[in-house]
Amino acid sequence: MELILESLQMLNQLPAYRIGPIALLLLLAHNVAFSDKVELDPDQWGHEAGDKCVSCHAKASSGLTSEWRQSAHQAAGVNCMDCHQADAAEPDAIEHEGQIIATIVSPKDCARCHEKEYQEQQGSVHAEAYAIIESRLPALAHHVGGPVMRSASCDQCHGSRVAVRGDGTLDPATWPNSGIGRINPDGSKGSCSACHGRHRFSRAQARTPEACVRCHSGPDSPDQEVFEASKHGMLYAAQRHEMNLEAPDWVAGRDYTAAPTCVTCHMGAAGKLPATHDVGMRNMWSLNSPVSHRQFLVVFEDGAKMELPEEADIPRRGSELSRPDGTLAAVKVVATPERRRKAMSMVCLECHSKGLTEAFMTQFDAVVELFNEKFGQPAHAIMAGLYAAERLTPTPFDEPIEFTYWELWHDEGARARHGASMMSPNHAWWEGMYLVGRNFYARFLPEARAVAGERAPELVDAVIDGVESHQWLKDPHQPSLILGFGPQETRQ
Amino acid sequence: MKPSLLSAITRPIVIALAIGGVCGMLFVSVLNEFHHFASRNEFCTSCHSMTFAEASYQQSAHYNSASGVRASCGDCHVSPGLLASTWDHAMGVTDLFKQLFGPDYDDPVINALHLPESAFAARAWFRKRDSASCRHCHRQEAILGERAHTAAIHREETEGKTCIDCHTNLVHRAVPDERTFKRAAWNRMIEQEFGLEPGEAEKLLATAQPAPAQRTATQQE
Repeated sequence: MELILESLQMLNQLPAYRIGPIALLLLLAHNVAFSDKVELDPDQWGHEAGDKCVSCHAKASSGLTSEWRQSAHQAAGVNCMDCHQADAAEPDAIEHEGQIIATIVSPKDCARCHEKEYQEQQGSVHAEAYAIIESRLPALAHHVGGPVMRSASCDQCHGSRVAVRGDGTLDPATWPNSGIGRINPDGSKGSCSACHGRHRFSRAQARTPEACVRCHSGPDSPDQEVFEASKHGMLYAAQRHEMNLEAPDWVAGRDYTAAPTCVTCHMGAAGKLPATHDVGMRNMWSLNSPVSHRQFLVVFEDGAKMELPEEADIPRRGSELSRPDGTLAAVKVVATPERRRKAMSMVCLECHSKGLTEAFMTQFDAVVELFNEKFGQPAHAIMAGLYAAERLTPTPFDEPIEFTYWELWHDEGARARHGASMMSPNHAWWEGMYLVGRNFYARFLPEARAVAGERAPELVDAVIDGVESHQWLKDPHQPSLILGFGPQETRQ
Repeated sequence: MKPSLLSAITRPIVIALAIGGVCGMLFVSVLNEFHHFASRNEFCTSCHSMTFAEASYQQSAHYNSASGVRASCGDCHVSPGLLASTWDHAMGVTDLFKQLFGPDYDDPVINALHLPESAFAARAWFRKRDSASCRHCHRQEAILGERAHTAAIHREETEGKTCIDCHTNLVHRAVPDERTFKRAAWNRMIEQEFGLEPGEAEKLLATAQPAPAQRTATQQE
């Protein structure tokens, strides 16, 4: 309730255009899904059995306890049992030294105290990271790799659906796992320790870009590399000691100005913009899809959230909408792409002018739109045509062009878009759009024509002919010294 | 003449004492031999139902140890000492009764479905005796372990505890603690293991003692 009042006060202080994201936060705070699990008030902190846990674990696994000893939990009197205690009826409850505990401390368990963070996190793209890909994953991970790859790779970031075996043990195919979209035995999604390394759970640690690196790096989401190669990352590297990372609220522009980190823009408090554990709320675009969309964020009465592309039928508040899992739910609130962009821009404004912020967003949007119009949409249309004409089998990755197409948007295309979104010139071009273009012209189109065979003019070239930015191909007589051959050398 | 103690020892008494003594020694020897005989693995596994327990036992450290020390069924499941072991074997007759007239424990599915209750009973038995059979071989104060603090843990963290409180699932198939045991989850696991339809386990448990012909049919399926 206190939270709601705080948000209400905040609303009154804000100019009208800023109300969107705040209202969203406010509404999210309303959505309290009480669990049937162990509940804990601050006056109950310090479970009586906790000392015994520490005494034995100081010997049995001393690293674990010494990390806890340095934690805010320890300072506040929160011990092992406060987090790990479980109800015997919970699927993963086990008996341990006379106590009923669970190994997994799920977000729902953390919500015994951190309820605001739990409410924000549930339904976020982080929390849904496994659920979103669960049905699609086998076609890549199982076919191209093997099921055992999941626990070592995909699930490490996306999370696993943790299975409790009939003998009460956790299935090693699904555990250990601290993937951010882990589906826990209690049904909650996510893993707080994905970012907040256990058992110190340091806020300073979670605020550093390094907290994101385990997953946001590599060919498909090189956010670490992009950040490090950007002006923001350059400043962070040089001025890290001025980041005031231990500050209680860590409000950008007030508690620190040295540099932004991932958390600053995607989650952090900035000026009057409150912090949130919904990491995707400020993202206007979907950047990791075959074609990027401006996205609405639909929040349901039950707390679940759903991204809807701008082109979709946008539901109104109170209406009912069917969800990907087949359930029908009432819409609580809808955030428009513009409101999400404004929330993100509020962070920029703590250090930059409004004009600079808007101009940057224009540059960024233009790159995304270029990718969409020149590569994403045509490639999608060509692939759709090849499937419809049965020139390709429905099974993904059993034909070379499917790898080519996958890398076009999932790796190279994502790099280009992420590079532009976070200002790494190298990733926007050489690691990104240059490779997209090379792939498209030198691999994708030739492969598509080969697959289409005699129907290539209709299934491939007709698509390209309709795109203005590909028309340069029509004039083969435009010499340039870029390759070292001027008009003299290339004259026929 | 004062009757002396010696004069009371008449020839018949000496003979009676001698016979009684010999019989007594024979009786104790027989008990002792029976204890050894009935604690042997071969004795226990002469019932087919016990061979399932034997299979997991043979994978355990109590069977395979570098030193060559091998604990038999009786070393763990029969109390040390002649009187206690005799008592335990006498009580063991109830197991024989169950084997003969109870559910068909010889069937691997029935056996696995009933395993948790057996485990709970065995743990309670150990606890009631303060893990006497464990302590017959393992001296708590002499446990050093391989890791740095194993000795300290056994010295400082064991107040009010007995071996079985921590050391469960060492030898036989792992079974959760009774307080967190979920029958439905266990049944699903066993069904999956034996390729049975969901719900089949409950049916098998309900018909505790199917006719031998039916069981044979089920086994063949």
